[in-house]
Amino acid sequence: MSAERIVVTATGAVCSGGKNPGDIFAAVRDGKSSIAPIQQWDTTGWPTTTAGEIAGFNAREMVEDRKLHKLIRRTDLLGLYAAGKAIDGAGLAAHRDTLAADAAAIFNDRTGVYVGSGSGNFENQYDYFPLLAAAGGSLPTFGRELANTVNPMWLLRSLPNNVLGHIGIKYGLKGSNACITSHSCSGSLAVIEGMEALRNGEADRIVAVGHDAPIEPQMVLYYYRLGLIASEALLPFDVARDGSVFGEGAGALVMETEASAAARNAKVLGYVLGGGEVSEATGLLAIRDDGDGLARAIGAALDNAGIGAADVGMIVAHGNGTRASDASEAAAIRTVFGGKAPPVTAFKWSFGHLIAAAGILEATLALEALAQRVVPGVAALKQLDPECAGIPVSAQPQVPRSKVALILCRGFGGTDAALLVSAA
Amino acid sequence: MTPRKRVAITGMGLVTPVGNDVATTWDAVLHGKSGGAPISVFDASGFLVHIAAEVKNFDAAAALGDRKLMKLTNRSHRFALAAAEQALQDAGIRPTEADGTRWGLTVGAGMMGVDFADLAGTQVHSAADGELHSDLLLSDGPANDPVAFCRSNCAAGLSLLTRRFGIRGYTSAVHTACASGGQALGTALKLIRRGAADRVLAGGYDSMISPVGISGFCLLSALSPDNATPQRASRPFDVSRNGFLLGEGAGFLVLEEWQAARKRGARIYAELAGDGNSLSSYRITDSPPDGDGPIQAMRQALWSAGATPDDIDYLNAHGTSTGMNDRSESAAVKAVFAPDVERLSVSSTKSTMGHLIAAAGAVEVAICALAIRDGLMPINANLRDVDPDCDLNFVRDAPRRQRVRMAMSNSFGFGGSNSCIVLRHPDETDAALEGRPQ
Repeated sequence: MSAERIVVTATGAVCSGGKNPGDIFAAVRDGKSSIAPIQQWDTTGWPTTTAGEIAGFNAREMVEDRKLHKLIRRTDLLGLYAAGKAIDGAGLAAHRDTLAADAAAIFNDRTGVYVGSGSGNFENQYDYFPLLAAAGGSLPTFGRELANTVNPMWLLRSLPNNVLGHIGIKYGLKGSNACITSHSCSGSLAVIEGMEALRNGEADRIVAVGHDAPIEPQMVLYYYRLGLIASEALLPFDVARDGSVFGEGAGALVMETEASAAARNAKVLGYVLGGGEVSEATGLLAIRDDGDGLARAIGAALDNAGIGAADVGMIVAHGNGTRASDASEAAAIRTVFGGKAPPVTAFKWSFGHLIAAAGILEATLALEALAQRVVPGVAALKQLDPECAGIPVSAQPQVPRSKVALILCRGFGGTDAALLVSAA
Repeated sequence: MTPRKRVAITGMGLVTPVGNDVATTWDAVLHGKSGGAPISVFDASGFLVHIAAEVKNFDAAAALGDRKLMKLTNRSHRFALAAAEQALQDAGIRPTEADGTRWGLTVGAGMMGVDFADLAGTQVHSAADGELHSDLLLSDGPANDPVAFCRSNCAAGLSLLTRRFGIRGYTSAVHTACASGGQALGTALKLIRRGAADRVLAGGYDSMISPVGISGFCLLSALSPDNATPQRASRPFDVSRNGFLLGEGAGFLVLEEWQAARKRGARIYAELAGDGNSLSSYRITDSPPDGDGPIQAMRQALWSAGATPDDIDYLNAHGTSTGMNDRSESAAVKAVFAPDVERLSVSSTKSTMGHLIAAAGAVEVAICALAIRDGLMPINANLRDVDPDCDLNFVRDAPRRQRVRMAMSNSFGFGGSNSCIVLRHPDETDAALEGRPQ
């Protein structure tokens, strides 16, 4: 397995808990939740009414260029914000602009972008409602009136890969890239594929970003009908847990080869050590009770990083608050670590489940935790479910036992991802 | 350094507008039998464009072999399941309980969306005046139907495939619009090279031939409006081209680590030898006129394959038949293959199949593998007057018989992602591995 170290030189994040990883982490550490009543539509009469919405959402604060607002949607604004903060924080464009033209062109060609995207929203298609209403069930009328009714930019506004394309255009980056649409593992997969692109020499530096905005009526309703949404609060590993709560936002990392970071004297925030991902082959919604997939993903990540389970200093669990996921996640941790698991925490109780952005945003927070040498307590945890016994999760803060954090992520399709990062 | 692992293509499956299997598709593509026709899956008579290249006579129930799956799948998922089954049968190997964890799956998936009937149902119930009334959603049929949700989810295709075939290793769906299929194959190549999987089922699937799908492209004026002549509508690189012909379908390949494939006596079509991808970072829909972006993708794919431009005998061009794309791609090809661009044979099989969007890259890589197997290059159909800006050495009128040492497939997407895949003749790979002169 490759042992080349991949450095992290900047992070960016936005969600209901804050607009940078430091603030979001501080809220988690201080036991604060930003889950609140949904504001985007009137939830009177709804069976579920809370989410981690970004309060006072302001499109111009996310992306200054107003012209761009007509070409993208809320989820894209979030992704572009987090990615922009990371790119600026790493000083990528500023450095590139000091280079001679030839060197700058090479810099652009050697800078890649890997995105984990929520892939779209039901609301995208609502742009056809006025046309459908006018056509009254007649497709020929629908076709004839199309151009008079629907925004000509509809398809472009709905592209799942808008963040990828617009980061490229704004910053002039032209390297290796992907837009991954694998539900909740998308952001973690963006980190894994970006890391591997650096290891195999495809690129010298990578902007990895995950973004999603699942808080919309039809999405919430479906997850509720599937029994996946909590009645009120997300209570990871708690005996009283009854589901997850959506959040929205984005997380981003600038990852580089050591040589690339050294060339600009960039400050190193930490390292991406490795990652692994697997499927349980159980279909879209089902997951195995025994945590087999997640345990294999952790094993793959450890192998990929060339380290052992004993080297892991803390675990950021997926902890999405559903009965089945938390219990099988605890089983996976027991399988891999036996009785010797490092301190375990989870973050989603504080700002919700960001779906495609979850894994990567939580990776940025794990780097904060390692830097501050604190494993935040899970403030929402009142009574550990006996089904989740044997993992050192606590409402109280703990101390990481090494510089290495394991970040777990699980998505539809029985997919499980594990990332390993370390402090500088 | 240990030598880089090589990747063998040992099975292929295709469901395309010109054939529901590999042999039928290959015959049609070789001879330029177009799949273009008036749209039949819905009444498109009122649309500016009412032609497309539909998959024809596809018996979904027979292909799926499981009636329950009909409810859980949309049109594109059915194509995917059928093409994947063909590919595994063709390879003569499939995941077992014991080795399923060493199999990966990478897919180029189409855009997320609900079926048009469900969208229309929700409009009638919850948006009668054209605006959504969220309170009405609570009693809306499709909006409360978990099965409708499952069909719409971005992970639906991936989960159907992993479950059906017992694939329990690395699994990823990518969407970079028209580059998706190529990027899925590139991801698979890298998985095997780095040892994350021993075998990968990789491909793409899509169907945008629906009222909303056609609308999206009509609004952008991206489709050829030649409704009277659907079989001539797609004419990449012709001076009179005026947009693409929307296709649909799926292509899947079984990829294996080379030595393992040889050891089990597998029939190898070709080596999946190189992957390159880049961003144009120019405009969301347009390609830069000078080919910047596609140039880097092609060069990176050559580097990844350990090849030089002289090694490539056939290029399956992206060639969408839009004014901008074909000009930009031609400029890129000239830049990469200079000064001997004349010796490179080029065709765009979208001239026959139409544009399969997220499936295009995977299907066209399969076409390249067949060109290598048979030493036969398919034609660029409908090419009468070559655009002077696109003066490449096109395969016209009849398939060209020539041994293909290496082939290249381009796929460029909205959003600016460019994917390039390079394939190598299996004899060339074996010779290189044995240190023989090639």
